Amino acid sequence: MIYDPIFSDAIIFASLLALLSIGLTLTYITTRVPNFAHASFATIGVYIALIVTHVWGFSPYASIPISFVISGVTAVLLYTFILKPLIRKGASQAIQMIATLAFDLIVIAMLNITADYIVKTFQITSREFSLRSYDVEFMGLPLIVVLAPLTIAILAITLHIILRKTKFGIAMRASTENSDLAGTVGINVKLIYGVSWLMGGGFAGVAGALMSLWFVGDPNLGPQIMPSVFAASIVGGFFSIYGAIAGGILVGLTEVLGTRFLAGEFGAWLIAYRPLIPLIFIVVTLFLAPKGLAGINWSKLRRYVRV
Amino acid sequence: MFESETIFIIDLLAIFAIYAIVNISLNMEFGYTGIPNFGKVLAVGAGAFVAASVPGRIFAEMAGIEGDYILDNLLIVSQINLWLVDNVGVGFAVFFLTLGIAAGVGAGVGILTSYPAIRLRGDYLAITLLAFGESIRIIGNNYTPLVGGTLGVQVPDPLSFLPNELRFPVATIGLVAIAIAVYVYSEKMVRSPLGRMLRAIRDNEVAAEALGKNATHTRIKIIMVSAALAAIGGALYAFYVGGTIAFAYDRASWTFWPFLMILIGGLANNKGVLAGTLIFVVIRKLIIFFKDSFEGFVPFDVVWLDFLLLGVILLVILLYRPQGIFTEKTTNVN
Repeated sequence: MIYDPIFSDAIIFASLLALLSIGLTLTYITTRVPNFAHASFATIGVYIALIVTHVWGFSPYASIPISFVISGVTAVLLYTFILKPLIRKGASQAIQMIATLAFDLIVIAMLNITADYIVKTFQITSREFSLRSYDVEFMGLPLIVVLAPLTIAILAITLHIILRKTKFGIAMRASTENSDLAGTVGINVKLIYGVSWLMGGGFAGVAGALMSLWFVGDPNLGPQIMPSVFAASIVGGFFSIYGAIAGGILVGLTEVLGTRFLAGEFGAWLIAYRPLIPLIFIVVTLFLAPKGLAGINWSKLRRYVRV
Repeated sequence: MFESETIFIIDLLAIFAIYAIVNISLNMEFGYTGIPNFGKVLAVGAGAFVAASVPGRIFAEMAGIEGDYILDNLLIVSQINLWLVDNVGVGFAVFFLTLGIAAGVGAGVGILTSYPAIRLRGDYLAITLLAFGESIRIIGNNYTPLVGGTLGVQVPDPLSFLPNELRFPVATIGLVAIAIAVYVYSEKMVRSPLGRMLRAIRDNEVAAEALGKNATHTRIKIIMVSAALAAIGGALYAFYVGGTIAFAYDRASWTFWPFLMILIGGLANNKGVLAGTLIFVVIRKLIIFFKDSFEGFVPFDVVWLDFLLLGVILLVILLYRPQGIFTEKTTNVN
């Protein structure tokens, strides 16, 4: 069997979407505000990978920890200096959402400034670039094809252990479910939320660093992938880490393979409409199961189907 | 005939009028009813797309101009404009017909895109509308019969019978007149029992429903009215600039800036909306005007400083003066 590169596309895209969706869920469960700047945190990772590879001359994989830290810190800045004061002043959820949109705009502007600066200073292509040629081979495949799903698997297991077994994870679950009650038993809720934002933003940064190894990087990548990320989170139910993983994989695979299949059936003009697939996911999920995959009562559904 | 300062002010007034229409409609939704419409660009874009695709084809049919409307667009539209010089009445009739169609299409798009999430919590509606807002560019860029894809199309000018130097002043007067009409309509509406009901639903949905008001139906109604007005704004913009291109209908220009403007001026206060719109349009004009003097001093495109500045301004307003310049007037209950 000849290996079709479309499967690499699908595997990587689905894994990265799951990673972004996990991050979005981690931040959403704390403040209950959808962070519209989340996808641009991934773009930060893309640019860190570009700088690490082209300016410093390291392997793109070296950018993963740096991306985690910088994107994570950016997310913490958004939470600490913008969302926390807004919540303290009693701003509505809509106002908080507008604040994340404004922050997104600032991040996009900074990324564009960085891109212009990189071109002028180092004479490196900083728009529509790809670092695919810097990847190493692993068992006849680019390493990223193996590493992206592996990252999700490791992350899922680690998060499961942290959230279920460690004291920190239990404190985190308590804080997100009832922050007042968690505060009265001595949990530092603000700190927990801060760590949650650090992880959420950090995962987005890692997703961005990995993304640069396969997909084309651009400062305006955030707004382009944002509908997919939100579709994955809505399909997943927005409150569950496992739902986020399932949603990311479902939306990611459908976007890539579904577009390919439909283009094969109806013609190549369909490829340009790929960004409409996440919209279909959002609409169908909101109509059929507004609480997402995680909200469906599977055992009840199984009984219903059998009868 | 006109000094450059006069042209500057005329253009500023026209853009002010168009944004005022869009912002008043957004204020109806967000300020008075509390619907976070992050897909404002959809309705505006729908109106502009109607203006780009409908009147030109009607005129071409009437004037008997042959050819593919998209492929030979430049030629056909210039022939139409010549034909319109002798057919002023028809020109205006089709212009108002286009505004009507735009309003209808806008209302339809508004209801279709908000329907999936209208019964759910506010953030789901916001996400859905935001995601749909991105789709208008994708469709506009790829479905060429609509607005000519990435190349864009010209929009016929019903004012082409006027001499060149009078065209923009007259267009501006027309735009300001329509903006005033929208303002008066909105003021009448928010002072009516319907307006009170909107605020009741925004402030306490449960109480409003307990008193027999159907919150979901009211929201759908307001989204339709507001989307229709925004679509008229979009169509007027397309007529004013004389063309439509899909990539001009992005999130920043027609969703983010309107939110910024109504937040500067003050939510749920139409005077505030006008003040906010004026301040924003003037700042924006000045930024564009002085942009060239920065060029060369900084190692990047100055347009991003603009984004940076406006993003920071919005955050500062949200944090330190969330009620804006004009605060909402409390209703006297006695």
